[in-house]
Amino acid sequence: MTPELPVRLVHLAATLALVGLFTAWILAGRSRCPTARAWDRQVATLMRWVLGLVVLSALAVLALRAGLATGRPGAALEPAAWWALLTGSQFGTVWLLRLGLMLLLGALVLLAEREEGAADWIALRGEGAALAAVGAGALAWAGHAAAVEPGGGWALAADALHVAAAGAWFGSLGPLALLLRRAAAPSGADARPVAVLAVRRFSALALALMTVVPLTGLYNAWVHVGGVAPLIGTTYGWLISVKVLLLAGIAALAVHNRRRLLPALSGDGPTVGRPAMTRLARFMAWEAGLALLVLVATAALGLTPPARHVSPWWPFSFRFSYETMADVPGVGLRLLVGSQVAVLGLVAAVAGALVRSARWPLVGLGALSVAGGLWVALPPLAVDAYPTTYLRSTVPYHAVSIAHGRTLYLAHCVACHGLGGRGDGPAAVGLPRPPADLTAPHTNQHTAGDLYWWLTHGIPRGGMPGFGDRLTAEDRWDLINFLRALAAGEQARALALVEPGRPWLVAPDASFAVGPTAERSLKSFREQFMVLLVLFTLPASRERLVELAEAYSVLQGLGAEVLAVPTDADPRILGRLGARPPILFPVATEGAADLVTAYALLARALTPDSLRALAAPPGHAEFLIDRQGYVRGRFLPGGGLPSWRDPRTLLDQVRSLAREAPTVPAPDEHVH
Amino acid sequence: MRLWRAVLLVNLALALGVLLGYVAWGRPAAQLERDLVAARRETGAWGQERTWDVRGVVRAVLPDSGVIVVTHDEIPGYMPAMTMGFRVHEPQLYQGLDIGVPVRFTLKGVPPNVLVTAIVRLDGAPQ
Repeated sequence: MTPELPVRLVHLAATLALVGLFTAWILAGRSRCPTARAWDRQVATLMRWVLGLVVLSALAVLALRAGLATGRPGAALEPAAWWALLTGSQFGTVWLLRLGLMLLLGALVLLAEREEGAADWIALRGEGAALAAVGAGALAWAGHAAAVEPGGGWALAADALHVAAAGAWFGSLGPLALLLRRAAAPSGADARPVAVLAVRRFSALALALMTVVPLTGLYNAWVHVGGVAPLIGTTYGWLISVKVLLLAGIAALAVHNRRRLLPALSGDGPTVGRPAMTRLARFMAWEAGLALLVLVATAALGLTPPARHVSPWWPFSFRFSYETMADVPGVGLRLLVGSQVAVLGLVAAVAGALVRSARWPLVGLGALSVAGGLWVALPPLAVDAYPTTYLRSTVPYHAVSIAHGRTLYLAHCVACHGLGGRGDGPAAVGLPRPPADLTAPHTNQHTAGDLYWWLTHGIPRGGMPGFGDRLTAEDRWDLINFLRALAAGEQARALALVEPGRPWLVAPDASFAVGPTAERSLKSFREQFMVLLVLFTLPASRERLVELAEAYSVLQGLGAEVLAVPTDADPRILGRLGARPPILFPVATEGAADLVTAYALLARALTPDSLRALAAPPGHAEFLIDRQGYVRGRFLPGGGLPSWRDPRTLLDQVRSLAREAPTVPAPDEHVH
Repeated sequence: MRLWRAVLLVNLALALGVLLGYVAWGRPAAQLERDLVAARRETGAWGQERTWDVRGVVRAVLPDSGVIVVTHDEIPGYMPAMTMGFRVHEPQLYQGLDIGVPVRFTLKGVPPNVLVTAIVRLDGAPQ
C-alpha cells in the first residue's frame, strides 16, 4: 500500500468534516442557552484542529506528489520541487487556491471569538460554509474528473457538487451527535429544544443530500465506468460497488432514525425523549463511522485508474447477451413474459414497503415474482464467458495487423479450420468435435475477448490447442483482427449497391503513401471525404482507371477521393499507368501489399470458388467507403451488378452517400 | 471592527482580486489568442515571396503549357498534400522526367503565382 492512501484519506475526511462543522453550526441556529454555547465553542475548537489537519495533509499530499512527479522520493522535501509542482501543473493551481481558502478560513475561525450580533453570526457561518464548500468542491479539479474529454465541464460540476454535498451530509453527523449527547445529559435540559430543532433541520437537509449525492455519484460512475463489465471486472468498479453498499447501510440507518427516533425526541423527557436522544447520537456516530469507510473507498478510487481505461477481468463463466434472441426462437417471448412478471413484482414490493396493512405478504409476494420473472427471462440469454471476455484489443483493426494475422492463420490454423475458415481442413477429421466454422454469423456474437481466451488457452474438449506460449499477445490480436475481417467478408459476399442509411461493414484502416510523400491512413479521410478504394491489376484494369480518371473531378466535387492500389504492389506502378490520358488520383506505391491482402477478404463474391477465402486476391475490386469509415458499396467485375461499371451509376451512388446525414464514426474495436 | 464588516471586506477583496486577475491575465490572454490568429493569417502565404522545398512524385508532364503535375506533401502555409500542376521556370528542368519519378522540387513565388525553380530526382538516376 502506498503512503498516499492514508494521507489522501485524512485530507478528504478533514476537508469534508470542515464543511460539515459549518453546516452543523448553521443548523443549530443561534441560541443563548449555556449548553448550546458550550457546544458552539467546542465546534470552534474542533474547527481549528480540523483546519490544521486539512492544511497539514494538503502539504503531505503535495510532498508525495512532488516525489512522484520528479521520480525521486527525496524530492518530497525539496522546496524547489514543491514550487515547480505548485506553479507548473493544474494540481498545483488547485492546491494553491485551496490553501489560500484555508488561510482565509483560518482567519475567520480565529475571529469567531469576536462574534457579537446576529449579523456576525450570519457572516461567520455563511462565509465559512461557502469557503469550506468551495475548498471541498475544488478537489474535483485535482482528480479524475479533470481528465474527462469531452464533456469535462459536466463531469467537473457533478464531482464538485458530489464532494461538497457529501461534506454537508457526512461532516455534520459528528458535531450534531455531540450536540445531542450534551442535550441528553441531565445538565443539558436547556439545549434540548435547540438539539431537537437542529436534528429536524438536518433530517430535511439530509433528505435532499441523499438525492444529490447518489445522483451526482451515479453520473460520475457512468463517466468513469460506463458499463456492467467494467463495474464487475475492475478494481475501480469494485470500489464503487463498495461505496454503494456502504451508502445503502447509511441510508438504512438514516431511515430508521427519521422514522423511529426523530418523532420520539419530543416525547416525555426522562422516559422517551432523552433515551431517544442518546440512541440517535449513537446511531449518528455509527453513520459517521460508515461514512469514514466510504471515504476510504473514495480515497482509493482517486489512486485507481478509472474503469473505462482498464480492460475488465470478467469473474463469471457466463454473461447475458441479447444477441441470443436473434438465434434461438422463443427467447424473445420468454424475455418479454419474464421481465413483465419481474417488473410487476418490483411494483408490488415497493407498494408493500409503502403501505402499512399487509406489508410483509405484499413484499414477499413481490420478491417472489421478481425472482420468478428473472428465472424465466435470464437463463436463455446466458452465454459462456471467460475472464478475458471484455478485454480490449491492443492492436487496431488495420491492414498490417490483418495481413500478419493471415500469415499466422496459414501457419497455425489452416490445417483444421481450412483455407476458407469453414472448419473443413484436412486435419479436422478425427477431432472430438468439428472445428468452428469461423465464417458463420455466430462468430460475430463472440467478443474479441472470447476469441482471445480460446486462442490463448485452447478448447480442450474440442481438441483445439492453446497458443499462449507460442504466439505473443500482439500476434493473437492480429489473428483476431484477421478473423474479424474473414467473418465480415463472408457477410459482405452479396454487398453491391449502397443501401441508404444502413452502414454495417467497418472498413479496416490501412496506411499508404504515394511515392516519397508522407504516409497517410484511410482513417485520416474520415469525416472529411468518402473514399473509392480501387484494387487494380494492369493491364486489365487500365480501361476502368481511365473512366475513373475522367470522372475524378466530379467525384472530388461530390466529396469523394479515389485511392487506387495495385494488386501486385509494384512500387513503380505509376510509370506503368501510361501518360495519355493522364491518371492523376492517388495511387498507393507503399503499403499496397497489406492493403490488398486485407481487402481481398472483403472482396469475395457469392460464387463457389470464393469459399476458399485465402486464395489469390481479386484482379479488380472497388469499395465505396463513406465518411464514417464503413464500406457501403462494392463492385466486382463478373460478380455483383454490372451497372456499377457505368460511371453514372457510380456518381449516383456517391451522391446518395453525400446526401446522408452524418452519423457516428465506425468503431475501432470489435464491439457488441 | 465588527466581524461581519471584516467578512464583507474580505469578500470585496476577493471579488476585486478576481476582477483584477481577469483584467491582468484573462484579457491579455484572450488578446494574445486573437493576435496569434491574425499573425498566422498574415504570415500564411499571402503578399510576399516565399520559397518551399517539397517532396513529391511526377504524375504528368505537359510540355505544351510548361507544367508538371505532382502528387506532393503538405506545403506549409500554402496548401495541403494533393496532386497539383505547377508551372516550371524553364523547360530544361523537366527534360527526361518520367511519370512515377520521385522528386524533390523548389517552389518559389508569391502565391498563387508560384514557379518550380529546381527539380532533383530522388531515385538516383542521372538528371
